[in-house]
Amino acid sequence: MSLLEVKGLRRDYGALRAVDDVSFELEAGTILGFIGPNGAGKSTTMRILATLDTPNAGQVMLDGHSLVDTPDKVRPLIGYMPDRYGTYDDVTVFEFLDFFARAYGLHGRERARRVASVMEFTGLVPLQEKLTSALSKGMKQRVALGRTLLHEPKLLILDEPADGLDPRARIELRELLRALADQGKAVLISSHILTELAEICDTCAIIEQGRLLATGRVADILAQATGTAVAELLVRLFPGEEGEAVWARAERLLLEQPRVKQVAREGDALRVRLEHEGGAAGQWVDESAARVLAALVGAGVPVCAFSHRERNLEDAFMHVTKGRVA
Amino acid sequence: MSALATDTAGTAPREEARRGLLERLGDRLNPLVVKEVRQGLRSRVFWVSFGLMLLSCFILSMVAYVSTREGALSTKGQGFFFGFYVCLAMVHFFIIPYSAYRSLAREREDETWVLLILTGLGPRRILRGKVASFLVQAALYASAVGPFLLFSYYLNGIDLPTILLVLVLGASWLFFLTVVAVCAATLADGRIGRALVHLVLLGSLGMAVMYGLIAAFFLSEQGYRSVSREEGFLIATGACLWAMLSYGWLLFETAAARLSLATENYTWGPRLALTLQLVLTGVLLLGLWLWDAPPAGAASGASVLGCLHLAITGIFVATDVDGQARALRAHTRPWSLLRPGAVRGFRLVVVLMLGWTGLCLGFLSMSAGGRGSDMAHLLGVLAAPAYTLFYLSLPLVVGRLPQSDRLASPAVMRVLFFSLSGLAGALLPLLAVLFDQRVDDPLFNLLNPFVGMGNFNDYNHSLDEPKMNLGLLACVWLVAVLTAFAADRALVERERRAHAAS
Repeated sequence: MSLLEVKGLRRDYGALRAVDDVSFELEAGTILGFIGPNGAGKSTTMRILATLDTPNAGQVMLDGHSLVDTPDKVRPLIGYMPDRYGTYDDVTVFEFLDFFARAYGLHGRERARRVASVMEFTGLVPLQEKLTSALSKGMKQRVALGRTLLHEPKLLILDEPADGLDPRARIELRELLRALADQGKAVLISSHILTELAEICDTCAIIEQGRLLATGRVADILAQATGTAVAELLVRLFPGEEGEAVWARAERLLLEQPRVKQVAREGDALRVRLEHEGGAAGQWVDESAARVLAALVGAGVPVCAFSHRERNLEDAFMHVTKGRVA
Repeated sequence: MSALATDTAGTAPREEARRGLLERLGDRLNPLVVKEVRQGLRSRVFWVSFGLMLLSCFILSMVAYVSTREGALSTKGQGFFFGFYVCLAMVHFFIIPYSAYRSLAREREDETWVLLILTGLGPRRILRGKVASFLVQAALYASAVGPFLLFSYYLNGIDLPTILLVLVLGASWLFFLTVVAVCAATLADGRIGRALVHLVLLGSLGMAVMYGLIAAFFLSEQGYRSVSREEGFLIATGACLWAMLSYGWLLFETAAARLSLATENYTWGPRLALTLQLVLTGVLLLGLWLWDAPPAGAASGASVLGCLHLAITGIFVATDVDGQARALRAHTRPWSLLRPGAVRGFRLVVVLMLGWTGLCLGFLSMSAGGRGSDMAHLLGVLAAPAYTLFYLSLPLVVGRLPQSDRLASPAVMRVLFFSLSGLAGALLPLLAVLFDQRVDDPLFNLLNPFVGMGNFNDYNHSLDEPKMNLGLLACVWLVAVLTAFAADRALVERERRAHAAS
């Protein structure tokens, strides 16, 4: 059973329908990326899931409890980090976390243990006596993440957590989120940085004009959208003295292989486009790649490098959305 | 060596127990108090204000010392007490409430209050924590000025009960201002609204400092013995304290409701506060009537004031959103008037108004009477709720009866309430003049909330009869009841639509 089940969620602001019949599921230990253009309804959905707003229709079940009917029961299960980190000036990192631990009703030794464990997990121990106002954006974001973890929630809702972070902080955040998912927490994360999300998320949901356009793995979304699963191979050759003849032979050979639809020269490599009818993603990419490589090597084509690339989240996003806003 | 070891072994568990006790006490404290006091004591505002206040007090005390050194029997205590009190008042009546306002306003601007609410602290605990933490800071300031105030007693010219009276009343003024300031921080959402509230608050706090100082000067000059003998002073002070307490509570609950989420029973607090405020005020007035029956005019005065209060608070209660969150609907009964929803708010105000009118009729019957003007007072008591009902219902009918939502927003309806009452007050006398009638003509001003009310309270001594009669009152009541009925139906229909849509 999924930890989070969203069914037919709808939110109207007067005549504007911000969220329209959104349904998806999220299992414990997985990371779901929530993607959409500005004004698509991501933050509204996240605010509803964080019990900060109430839907006009639909139901949300978290760990078996209705988030709409019993928000007080599910609130302790949720860790919410809004797009603004929400740290205070004139308090140290320790005091900030200690304050929120008190606010969550943790007492005495339990509070000290939780604060220490969160600081250790987020790497804030050396900074505990520093004022939060003196921290970098990346560190503030860690403090905010630490705050969301204090009460050991099962579901983490992170609204644009990577926004404004430098590359190092992003990589560190990615590692922290992966570690949290490995601990069994479900993570719902929204971001504009699609490459970033693609690396973090197990699955993604694409929303536009308040409607959920696609959910699932990136490859599945592309397959759902086009009806055809697509992958690319990159084959680098070392033609040596044979020169152009090798390129021509390799191109001819590749086009004879099943599922190879297109071959294009790109510098000192060939870009091979594979398509699989039926749309289901699976092991066909590996299987086709192995067959192509074997054919090339068997025919004596001098292959010096070989790699394959599945279509990415950006492709899926651009394919599924049409750039409309609600 | 062994003795030392034994001693250490004996004190260690005690130390541990004491730390455990302190920890448990700390756990019981509102987390906001701990955080705000930590933050406050680190802030520049605190240290600058604290330093300036101490420096001023020190300079004043030096002046006091020099000026009283020569005279063996000095009576300059009252003047120097007021001087020290000015230093404290600047902080207590301005800096503390303003800092409290900024603290919550920043929580809302930075959206950290959302995080606070998600912790399960709840809006009431958050607001209580804010107010308490700033009162703790105020106590720190007061503890620094305390020795100087005591010093003024030794300069003669002021007695200890007077000093205590000024300090106690000043503390209640500080408490009220801090609550008002914290509540003001919840009023506006947009940037322009916030800037407006900010400016109004700054102006109001400036006035509050002035009022506080004038009252302190008056009290310290008159002295405790003099003022405590005056019955009027005691009643006025009691009324002021009651008004500060009850309105402070009402504002506090309103602010908590504004910070609550739509899924919560957010109206319970403010509506209960309003109900209890009226009930307790009624009980206090009943006590006053039983103690010394005032004239019949006081009953119609009570009716007018009560209805005015209900009209102004009522327009905020009755312009709540239509319907309520799904989670709350199951436990809502027809008599659950404290639960969210405009229709229940409107009905609560009507019930309170009828109850208040009944009480005022009781006051009227208890008042010393037997004269012809009693009829005018009876009309006055009964006219006030009719006008309140009519002018409370009218904006609801105009705003929420049509299918369109153009005029249905709470802000528009509140503006409509004040505009319609103001227009009726100004245009109807003008109309009377245009038709060559007296400006306060009873018929033209029948629906005028100001002149009409005055007419119903008026007594024509030359004819020995009231200016108005029961028939005219019945007309006003008929119009009011019909409008209220239309408003109620409109609100019921809108709630039904809102519930059907979600």
